[in-house]
Amino acid sequence: MSFFAVDGLTMRFGGLTALDDVSFEVDQGMIFSIIGPNGSGKSTAFNCISGIYQPTAGKIYFEGEGISGLAPHHIARLGIARTFQNIELFSTETTIDNLMLGRHQHMHSGVWSGVAMLGRATSAAREETENRERVQWIIELLDLVQVRDRPVGELPYGTQKRVELARALAMEPKLLLVDEPSAGMNADERAEVAERMRELRAELGVTILLIEHHVQLAIGLADRVLALNFGKPIAQGAPEEIRQHPEVIKAYLGDG
Amino acid sequence: MNDRHIDVVIEPTRDHYEDIQLFTARGSWIKLALLLVVLVSLPLLLPGYRVFTLNYMAVFVIVGLGMNVLVGYTGQVSLGHAGFLAIGAYTMVLLMTRLAVPFPIALVMAGCVSAFFGFLLGLPALRLAGPYLAIATLGFGLAVTQIIGHSALFGGHMGLVVPDAMVGPFPLSGDVSKYYVIVGITFVLALGVRNLSVTRVGRAFRAIRDSEIAAATMGVDVAYYKTLSFAVSAALTGVAGGLLALMTGFISPGVFTFTLSLMFLAMVVFGGLSSITGAVLGSIVMGYLNLEMDAFQELPVLGPALEGFSARFMSTVGLPNFGWVVTGMLIVFTILLEPRGLYGLWIRALDTMKYSKSADAELSRSGSGAD
Amino acid sequence: MLPQVLASGLSAGSIYALMALALVITYKTTEVPNFAQGDMAMVSAFIAYMFLTDFETGFIFAFGAALVFAFLLGVGFEVLLLRRMRKPTHLNLIIMTLGFTLALFGFAGWKWGADQRQFPFPVSANEVIRFGSVSISTLSVATILIAGILMLLVFAFFRFTKLGVAMQATQQDPIAARINGVPARAVVGLTFGISSVIGTVAALLTAPLITLDPTLMWDALLKGFAAAVLGGLNTPVGAVLGGYLLGVIENLFGAYISVEFKSVVAFLIIVIVLWFRPSGLFGRHHERKV
Repeated sequence: MSFFAVDGLTMRFGGLTALDDVSFEVDQGMIFSIIGPNGSGKSTAFNCISGIYQPTAGKIYFEGEGISGLAPHHIARLGIARTFQNIELFSTETTIDNLMLGRHQHMHSGVWSGVAMLGRATSAAREETENRERVQWIIELLDLVQVRDRPVGELPYGTQKRVELARALAMEPKLLLVDEPSAGMNADERAEVAERMRELRAELGVTILLIEHHVQLAIGLADRVLALNFGKPIAQGAPEEIRQHPEVIKAYLGDG
Repeated sequence: MNDRHIDVVIEPTRDHYEDIQLFTARGSWIKLALLLVVLVSLPLLLPGYRVFTLNYMAVFVIVGLGMNVLVGYTGQVSLGHAGFLAIGAYTMVLLMTRLAVPFPIALVMAGCVSAFFGFLLGLPALRLAGPYLAIATLGFGLAVTQIIGHSALFGGHMGLVVPDAMVGPFPLSGDVSKYYVIVGITFVLALGVRNLSVTRVGRAFRAIRDSEIAAATMGVDVAYYKTLSFAVSAALTGVAGGLLALMTGFISPGVFTFTLSLMFLAMVVFGGLSSITGAVLGSIVMGYLNLEMDAFQELPVLGPALEGFSARFMSTVGLPNFGWVVTGMLIVFTILLEPRGLYGLWIRALDTMKYSKSADAELSRSGSGAD
Repeated sequence: MLPQVLASGLSAGSIYALMALALVITYKTTEVPNFAQGDMAMVSAFIAYMFLTDFETGFIFAFGAALVFAFLLGVGFEVLLLRRMRKPTHLNLIIMTLGFTLALFGFAGWKWGADQRQFPFPVSANEVIRFGSVSISTLSVATILIAGILMLLVFAFFRFTKLGVAMQATQQDPIAARINGVPARAVVGLTFGISSVIGTVAALLTAPLITLDPTLMWDALLKGFAAAVLGGLNTPVGAVLGGYLLGVIENLFGAYISVEFKSVVAFLIIVIVLWFRPSGLFGRHHERKV
C-alpha cells in the first residue's frame, strides 16, 4: 500500500460535479503537484482530503488506513496539515500564537491546568515554554522573526502566506497539503516559493501535495503531476510527460 | 515596534516563558501591589452603602469574565446568561437551606450545576452555528425564569430568603466581610481566566472564533471546545449567581430577566470583546449603571436636567428605564464606531501615541541627515 | 375539547406565524436574526395607542399611523444602523439588533412607563361566537382572518409584483440581482420595512388580548423564532406553517399536560428541532462552500 492514495474520488454539489472519479497515489517524500485551470476541482480535492467535505464517492487512504469520512480534526491528528487558497489565519492572533495553534494536537493542558498556571514550574507553563521553543526554528526558517509578536491580520499578503505555511509545519505533519503557494506573486517571489518547497522536503522529509495554478512552477517542482480539467483527471505522470501531454496543452490553451 | 525587532535579533536564546508570564516586568508587580492595596482599603474608605455597590460590581465582573470566554473568545452569543445566574443562585440557596451545605461548598456546587446546564445548552452547538444558538439561548433564559416562577421548590414568584453564610467559623454578616469574600473570589477568577486565555484551551477558543475551518484542520475538535466554552462561561456565571444571592440576601425570578441577559452582553461588547481588561471595565460600568438606575434624578447636574426632560417629553415614572436606553445605545454605538469597545479605544490611543513618537523620531533623523 | 383546543391554537398560532414570517424574510435577505423585531412592533403598537388615547383619533387612522411608523422604523434601522457598521460580521450584526431592542425597550418604558394598559380595539376579546361546540372570541376570529389575509398578501406580493420578484431575486443571489439592475441595498432596506409592518400587525393583535406594556412582544418574539426554527429559517411558507403548528402544540400541551409550563414548550421545540432536524421541518439543508 502506498503512503497516500486517492481512489475514485467524486464530489457533487447539487447538480454540479466538482470532482469526477479522481485517483492517484503519492509515495513518501515526494512532491506531488495537482494542476488545472480555475474551477477544475483542485481545492475541492484538498477539502475532501482534509475532511471539510464528505466526498460523494471514493476512498482516501493515508498510511494504509481509510480516512474519508473522518472529521477534520481527526485527519489533522493523523499527521496531515494544509494551507488554504484564501488564507485562513487566526487574524487577530499574533504569528507565534498562530503557530502554537499548530502545536494544539501535540499539547495536553486542559481547562484546569491552564487556569492553574501559576509559575514557571507548573505543567501548563512548562508545556507552553517547550512548544514555543520548538516552533522557534520554523519562525527562523521562514523568516518570520520580525513579525513574531504581531497580529497576523495586519501583515502583508506574502508574509501571511508564510505564516500559514509555518503554522502547518508547526503541526509536524507527515503529509503537507499546500494550496496555491504562489498565488498573487511575481516571478522572483515564485522562485523563492519553489526554493522553499524543495528546502522543506530536503530538510524535513515531509511529503508535499501541491496545488498550483502556475503550471511551470508546479511541474518544475514535482516528482509526479496530476492534471485536472472540469473535475476530471486528464493526465498523470512524470513532469516531462505532462508538459508534452496534448490534453494538458489543450486545456491550458482553451483556458486562454 | 522597532525596539521589539531589535530585542529579538540581539537575543536569539530568548526565554519563552516570558510570552505567557503573568507579570513580566518589575513595573507590573508594583501595579499589582497597588491594585491590591486599593482593593483592600476601598471598603474602609467608602461609606457603608457604597460597599454594597462594590459587591454588586464585582459580581458583574465575574459574569463579564464568563461572557468574555463565550462571546469574546469563541464568538458565540448568549441571550440567556441571566438563566445561568439564576441557576447558580438557586442552587446555592437551596443547598444551604434544604441540605444545610456550608456556604463555600454550596458556592462551588452552584458553579458546577450551572456548568452542567451550560454544557447541555452548548450541545446543540455541536452541530449549529450563529443564529440558531442565539435563539436557543433566548429560549433557555426565558424557560429558566418560567420554571422557577412556577415551582414551589424554588419559592415561585415570591422568591427565597438567603440564609446567613459562614466561612469556616466566621459569619459573613456585613457588607464589608462579604466584600472581601466576593472581591477575593473575583480577583482569583480573573487571574484564572487570564491564564486560561494564554494557554492551549484559550487559544483553541479564539481560533474557533477567527476561523472554524482552520481550527479544525489544526486538530481542534471544534464542537468539543464550543461546548466547553459554554460550560466554563456558565460555571463562572453560576458562581456569580451564588455571590449575588449572598450579597442581596433574597432572590426571586424577577431579578433574572431577558434584559439582564442583554446587559451582560452589553458589558463585554462595550468593554471590548476578547479583552479581559475590557470585560472587567465594561462590567464595572454596567454594574454601576444597573444598580443606580432607580436614582438617575439624584445625579449631579445631569439628574435635574433628565428629570425636566422626562416630565416634559417622556414620563417621570419611566425615568429608570433611561438606563436601558443608555445600555442599548452603548451597544449600538460601540458596534457602529469601535467594535473592539473600550479596549479598542485604548489600543488606538496607544497606536496614535506610538505613531506620533516614531514620526517625531523620523523627523529628527531626517533633520540630522540634512545637516 | 379537542376542537376548542385547536381553535385556540390556531388563534395563537396566527400571531406566531406573523412573527415568524417577519423574522424569516429579513433573515433570508441578510442572514441576521432580527432580535429587535418584537420591540420594534411593541413601540409601533404604543404609537397606535398614543393616537387612540392622547389624540383620540379613529382606529383606522391610529393603526395606519402605527404601520407607517413601523415601516419607517424598519427602513431606518437598516439604513442608519445595520448598513453603517464597520465590521458587519454575523456576531456584530446580531449584537446590533440586540442593542437596538434594548434601546427601544428602554425608550418605551421611559415614555409610557411599565403600567399594563388596556389597548382599545374594534372587536372584543370577551365577546364569544359559537361554532357548534367551539366557542371563540371575536378577537380570535379577527386575528385568524387578519393574519391569514395579510400573509396571503405578502406571498402574493413576492410572487406576482415586479418589486416582490426583484426582492426575492436579491434574497437568493444578491450579486446576480445587482447585475440585472436590482438595487440590492434598497431592497434590503425595504425588506426590513415590510417585515417591521408584519410584526406590528402581530403586536396590534396581541395588545388587546393581553395588555400593552414594554414587554408586550417578548413572548411573541421567542415564539416567532421557535416557529421559524420549527418550519425552517429559510422558508417563509415553512415558518408560517411552523407558527400554526407551534400554536396548536402549545395549546395541546396546556390542555393535556401542564398550563404553568406552557411557555417552556417553545424552548423545548427549538432544542428538539435543532438537535434532530436543524434545517426545520420544511427547510432544506445547504452545505456551505469554503
